[in-house]
Amino acid sequence: MTAGARPAPPKKSVRPYLVAVAVTAFTIFAAKEVGLSLSQLTENFKTGRDFLARFFPPDWEWAKENVPGPMIETIQVAILAAIIGCSVALPIAFWASKLTANNKWVYYIDKWFLNVIRTIPDIFWAMLFVTGIGYGPFAGLLALIMFSLSIMGKLLSETIDSADPGPLEAAKSTGAGHTQAVQASILPQVMPNYVAYALYIFELDIRASTVLGIVGAGGIGRVLEAQRAFFRFDRIMAIVIVIFVFVFLIEQVSVFIRRRLV
Amino acid sequence: MRVVIEFKNASVTYRGGVRALKNVDLTINDGEFIVIVGLSGAGKSTLLRAVNGLVPATEGSVTVDGREVVGASAKDLREIRSDVGMIFQTFNLVLRTSVLNNVLMGRLSMVPLWRSTLGMWPEEDREIAMQSLERVGIVEKAYVRASNLSGGQQQRVGIARALAQEPKVLLADEPVASLDPVTSHIVMRDLQRINGELGITTFINLHFLDLARAYGKRMVGLRAGELVYDGDIADVDDTTFREIYGRAITPDDILETKE
Repeated sequence: MTAGARPAPPKKSVRPYLVAVAVTAFTIFAAKEVGLSLSQLTENFKTGRDFLARFFPPDWEWAKENVPGPMIETIQVAILAAIIGCSVALPIAFWASKLTANNKWVYYIDKWFLNVIRTIPDIFWAMLFVTGIGYGPFAGLLALIMFSLSIMGKLLSETIDSADPGPLEAAKSTGAGHTQAVQASILPQVMPNYVAYALYIFELDIRASTVLGIVGAGGIGRVLEAQRAFFRFDRIMAIVIVIFVFVFLIEQVSVFIRRRLV
Repeated sequence: MRVVIEFKNASVTYRGGVRALKNVDLTINDGEFIVIVGLSGAGKSTLLRAVNGLVPATEGSVTVDGREVVGASAKDLREIRSDVGMIFQTFNLVLRTSVLNNVLMGRLSMVPLWRSTLGMWPEEDREIAMQSLERVGIVEKAYVRASNLSGGQQQRVGIARALAQEPKVLLADEPVASLDPVTSHIVMRDLQRINGELGITTFINLHFLDLARAYGKRMVGLRAGELVYDGDIADVDDTTFREIYGRAITPDDILETKE
């Protein structure tokens, strides 16, 4: 073999430098706009220190009586929301992928539906349901179902998009109906991802459900909000520590399982 | 002789106007082992897929066992397809599941959705799947994940999946193009043996001329979407191939000279 002429190295692009300058300029501009200043931080540090002192020591006596019930409620809501939201999301995700949608109308309508529900933040869903059906954990549950559904719909439909279409063609060639062909050929391909996403969504739900109570959707957030209104920062500290421990433990378990899956 | 596949003036025009198949007339009898050759892009895959409607013919008529494929309803098309097994160049197995589950895919059209979803297959269907695996000689791999098999073994699972349909017709789209020469011959012999034992009409796309000559009985040549040759493989010589290919034969057209 005779070697061909070596190609000239490609020209260096100036684009990375331009991007760096633009990002720096925007950061300085935005910091000025929102009034970020280090002097303000140091000036307020003393009052901040006094303020922080009010969080200690945490009021464990009170917490023992008043935290476990609402905390369990929060976790129950998160588990239910993850299970229901992720189950409902399964068919919706399949309709939202060009590969597996029954027809293009189902695909466009479903894609649009997912885009709409995803733009609505979880706290806004909670406010909506609290207004609609009243205070309590049921409103929080519905809010988190919508939240779980929107995330799973997006993540899973994109995973389906990148699945191998070959087995689907093979299943169709055997005379199987659309749903049956999809179930046999695509579902096994995305199943490990689906379970991993569901666990991740459960983590998000636990975290989200702790704050939803602030707008009246039940759980530990309701207790947190009440104590904030009374300025009982020692109790708030106890609640925050409990939430932290639970979220941390659940995440560790979930991450451990997810690592094994994919 | 009973006619199993019949093309009458069949054409395929893809969206965008490319005519992949032009006015093809072709009659295939029960039990034949027929090979299609032609350059890549000549329409071999399209011709094969027009049989089970994966690529629908846009004009003319294609019948399988007397049933019209062109313009068939979704239900009729599924019924036709259940009689036509297909094997693919890239095997198209679900790699994350077991060999048996892949073969059971051939039984999908015979069971309701809930059974296949829950994996609650009737005993007869499992038995048919196992027999199909025995026929290609890899029944011992039934519970192994498909991803753990070699290419040749994966293609035999692909054949078993098609056999599980208990088909009248077997379509094979470049079945050995992803395999090494030794495995290619094993798979081709499997197909030839199955054709002999079960009398399933077999319609194969092949890229390599020596394989076509070694295993085919009847050969069809395609050039730019047109049927330019149809005859007994015994009558085929290098001149015939030159006519079909529109150029001289190169080492790339022969399997044995390739490493």
